Amino acid sequence: MPRDSARIHDVPDDLLAAMDYCYEQGWTDGLPVVPPVTDRVEAMMMYEGRPPETVIALHPATGLECTIHAAAVNAVMAGCLPEYFPVIVAAFEAMHEPDFNFHGSTASTGGSAPLLIVSGGVADEIGMNSDVNLFGPGNRANATIGRATRLILRNVFQMIPGISDKSTQGNPNKYSFCIAERARDNPWPLLVETLDYPEGVSSVTAYAGGGFFNVENHGGATPEAVLSSFADTMAGLGVLTLGQSVIVLSPEHMRILGNAGWTRENAQDYLFENARRSRADMETAGKFRERDYARQRDPAVKSSLLHDGYMHRGISPADILIIMGGGDAGGHSSFIPSWSRARSSLMQSKPIGVCIDCD
Amino acid sequence: MQLYDPTVTGPDRQSRRAPPLASLEGLTVGYLENGKLNATNMLRETAEVFVARHGCQIGPVYSKFNASAPAPEATLRLAADEVDFLITGLGD
Repeated sequence: MPRDSARIHDVPDDLLAAMDYCYEQGWTDGLPVVPPVTDRVEAMMMYEGRPPETVIALHPATGLECTIHAAAVNAVMAGCLPEYFPVIVAAFEAMHEPDFNFHGSTASTGGSAPLLIVSGGVADEIGMNSDVNLFGPGNRANATIGRATRLILRNVFQMIPGISDKSTQGNPNKYSFCIAERARDNPWPLLVETLDYPEGVSSVTAYAGGGFFNVENHGGATPEAVLSSFADTMAGLGVLTLGQSVIVLSPEHMRILGNAGWTRENAQDYLFENARRSRADMETAGKFRERDYARQRDPAVKSSLLHDGYMHRGISPADILIIMGGGDAGGHSSFIPSWSRARSSLMQSKPIGVCIDCD
Repeated sequence: MQLYDPTVTGPDRQSRRAPPLASLEGLTVGYLENGKLNATNMLRETAEVFVARHGCQIGPVYSKFNASAPAPEATLRLAADEVDFLITGLGD
């Protein structure tokens, strides 16, 4: 049993008093938590086959370690059911990857929140929402898996607002930011099917999201017309960086692309080519940097879709992840820009509940 | 009712400061900029203060592309070989 997470607090047998006790200890995100009673934590860990002391993520800045036991305690507090736990474990294994840089993305003035995208059969098995009201509220799995992520960052890694989390304005997604990719009526391969995992495996992708844009288009009837709205949003002077992008297409927008025979790669190419801003525009805003321009044109990565004299969003079309989600009705999709003005965090994916190529 | 504690405590880390320099006179100062917009300007001006006050020479400029991640070990080792002391800062 891990030394620290096994510490036990004896409190009176009064649920409301126990919730107040959690507040008094500074263990919450501002909302009430489920008191982490020992039997619920044990039940949570039944969904993980490894010993409780197994470390799933390390915080390099402090040396703090998140064990399976510590994650389970916080998952109970977030309101998770035990069957959600493998998603949380896989999410932190993804965030543990150095290129995700969860310390920087959590501590930064930029106010990043980790977006979790669950892809594959697990989403339905645990009752996640990939449909109407995708980003919430209303679904326990989506809401509490995302919330558990925040509580682990706060309680295990001590990323405390105002102290070690120095976000200038915060971000409502810091409470919870977790969705499932919609499989129903999806003409494209699911995200997990692009990851070379064995058939039947599901995945979670962690992405340090810097905000949230609703992209509305009800009049466009061709892929180019619809995607032009996305490209324009992605090229805004407030968000145009070398970073990655996540696009969640509504089924209505996806139908337009699918019916025209567009693949994910076609859409990525279009968006990369057109999500751009002239050098003069960037200079006017005080945001043009020669080193970023040169980095985009490094021969090792240079895309043939680049236009001279323009800054594009990202380094290549592959930097734009496009999935489908949301309800059938409405020309409302979303663009989630990356945190940071550079490429300080890169999205990471992990299989859920299985070990592939593990040490 | 028994509750598990959701926090952990860190490992006991041994850390220490580098010994202070006996004097700054005539030393070579380098600076490590973090890629932020004004980092190079701010650090160069700071280095020039050392030149004016202590007769230092400005050595190489070291860069990192990720402001929120530690500098690569190779960069720090190179700096340790090439300069007598190194200054860094955020630059926003």
